[in-house]
Amino acid sequence: MTTSTRTTGVVPAAPPRRASDEVFRRKLARLGWGFSAPALIVIAAVTIFPIVFSVVMSLSKVNVSGSGFSLSGVTGANYSLLFHSGLWRYALFFTVVYTIITVAVELVLGTLIALVLERLTVGRGWMMALLLIPWSMITVINAQLWAYIYNPTYGILDQILSALGLGTPVVLGTPVPAIAALMVADVWKTTPFVAIIVLAGLVMLPQDYYEAAEVDGANGWRTFWRITFPLLRPTIALAVLFRVLQAFGLFDLPFVLTQGGPGHSTTSLAMLSYNTMFEDLDFGPGAAVATSTAVLVLIGCLAFLRVFRAQVGGQA
Amino acid sequence: MRSRSRTGWRRVFNGVNAATFVVFLFIALPLYWMIASSFKTPANVGATPPQYFPVPVSVQNYSVAFSQNPFGRFIVNSVIVAVVATTLVLVLGTLAGYALGRLPMRGRGTVLVVLLMISVFPEIAVVSPLYLLLREVGWLNSYQALILPYTAFFLPFAIWILRNYFLGIPHEMEESARIDGASPLRTLWSIILPQAWPGLFTAGIFTFTACWTEFLMALSFDSATNYRTIPVGVALFGSQFTVPYGTLFAASVVAVVPIGALVFIFRRSVVSGLTAGAVKG
Repeated sequence: MTTSTRTTGVVPAAPPRRASDEVFRRKLARLGWGFSAPALIVIAAVTIFPIVFSVVMSLSKVNVSGSGFSLSGVTGANYSLLFHSGLWRYALFFTVVYTIITVAVELVLGTLIALVLERLTVGRGWMMALLLIPWSMITVINAQLWAYIYNPTYGILDQILSALGLGTPVVLGTPVPAIAALMVADVWKTTPFVAIIVLAGLVMLPQDYYEAAEVDGANGWRTFWRITFPLLRPTIALAVLFRVLQAFGLFDLPFVLTQGGPGHSTTSLAMLSYNTMFEDLDFGPGAAVATSTAVLVLIGCLAFLRVFRAQVGGQA
Repeated sequence: MRSRSRTGWRRVFNGVNAATFVVFLFIALPLYWMIASSFKTPANVGATPPQYFPVPVSVQNYSVAFSQNPFGRFIVNSVIVAVVATTLVLVLGTLAGYALGRLPMRGRGTVLVVLLMISVFPEIAVVSPLYLLLREVGWLNSYQALILPYTAFFLPFAIWILRNYFLGIPHEMEESARIDGASPLRTLWSIILPQAWPGLFTAGIFTFTACWTEFLMALSFDSATNYRTIPVGVALFGSQFTVPYGTLFAASVVAVVPIGALVFIFRRSVVSGLTAGAVKG
């Protein structure tokens, strides 16, 4: 992603040779805007306009009635409500911790899987295809499947745990196991995505480095940290960026698996925003939660791009 | 790549194959569990200890899911929304991707970066204003309530994929078409598109999968039974105390298998789309 943005400036256009070429070029540019207009208008109308509207809502008192809604006054009340609310602070804490842990686990597991599959000589295509299935699965179905696995009466997990002599804890009934259970379901669904991206990066690495390392007698561990990892860093950064953004919007899994509970222990920012708006019908504070989430994502993205640019600057 | 010469049993029983097998189990066992449970009899789905294999094999869950429950309807809804939105995305995305990739527009770099940011923006940020706007125009619980947002939300990524493909097509043929006096729209239609179909295909699969799996907007805008898509139907099925998992998994298998098969068969284009950003850099 980041790597792609670099190419945008250097797209070759036919170089202007004569004055008539320049006229033609302008005509083409106008045509380009014409071609893009329908897509850009739809995108602006359905995404940019609501984002702006959401910011306005978060700064107003929103009155929703049976027939419609109205905005009145400019106020910081929604945000002050937010920053003083223990629920919001917990949701922020939970979302950040959840994002860091799941992305870290997925990154390690995904890289390991990619390293294994890269050496696989037979059936690599089949394994890749298998990896794509959890990625393409509806998250809500994934959540129901794990709810069935975790079920306290007839779930297979209790069966396995008691066979291992670990007792039969009620997984979804206590906060920490419930959070761990959520993470397992997430790791199962999204590790394959990381593995595919890293594998694609691995396959493209230049081979001569490895030959040199082998001649020098470097072992596998050293080769990985000295050669593979530095070369893979842009690919890994890309996978991390995608996953962090996705994990930060966590909604589908806890909605089905834990309903944000027990208590509020698995209520993410997106769930808090949804509940505030659609359960409590408090659209002002709900919009404030949504907007603050979006701002955090934006800041995180920009910071990431900065660090990332600085890191690959030398190689690119 | 870094192959050591292996002989005899080391060819089959080596670390790589063993690790691959572990990965295989990690991915496949939960999938097996869902499919196997869907073929158990409704009573056996809740058996303690759980049945490892569906004996006897029963299709009763399937008939319950589709004759006594509206899962058929949910699938039809999902298909309508996903097909229409994907078609719109491909038409609009092709025009925009071609323009942004090959026509000398000033400021297209900015446009592309903005598109990228929109495509990763958290959905929750737009759900409430969109909900209020859709309510205002009376579109809640309708197909267009999902088709329009899906088209807009999944367009940016499709534009990126298509643009990357268009960039890779040589300029010569386009130039000669231009010299022959073909209009740009005609050039796009008869010179560019025939060479770009793998890109169209990849963008199509991605958009379709995104529409098929989207939950938050579907839940917020279309929660009436008649307009529920599969994710909403699956999430809201059952009561707080009992979830009929057999029925649920029968419906889930029917919802997952077509997409899974599609992705399985066309894994090459899916992988190339997933890594479009990484590879094209």
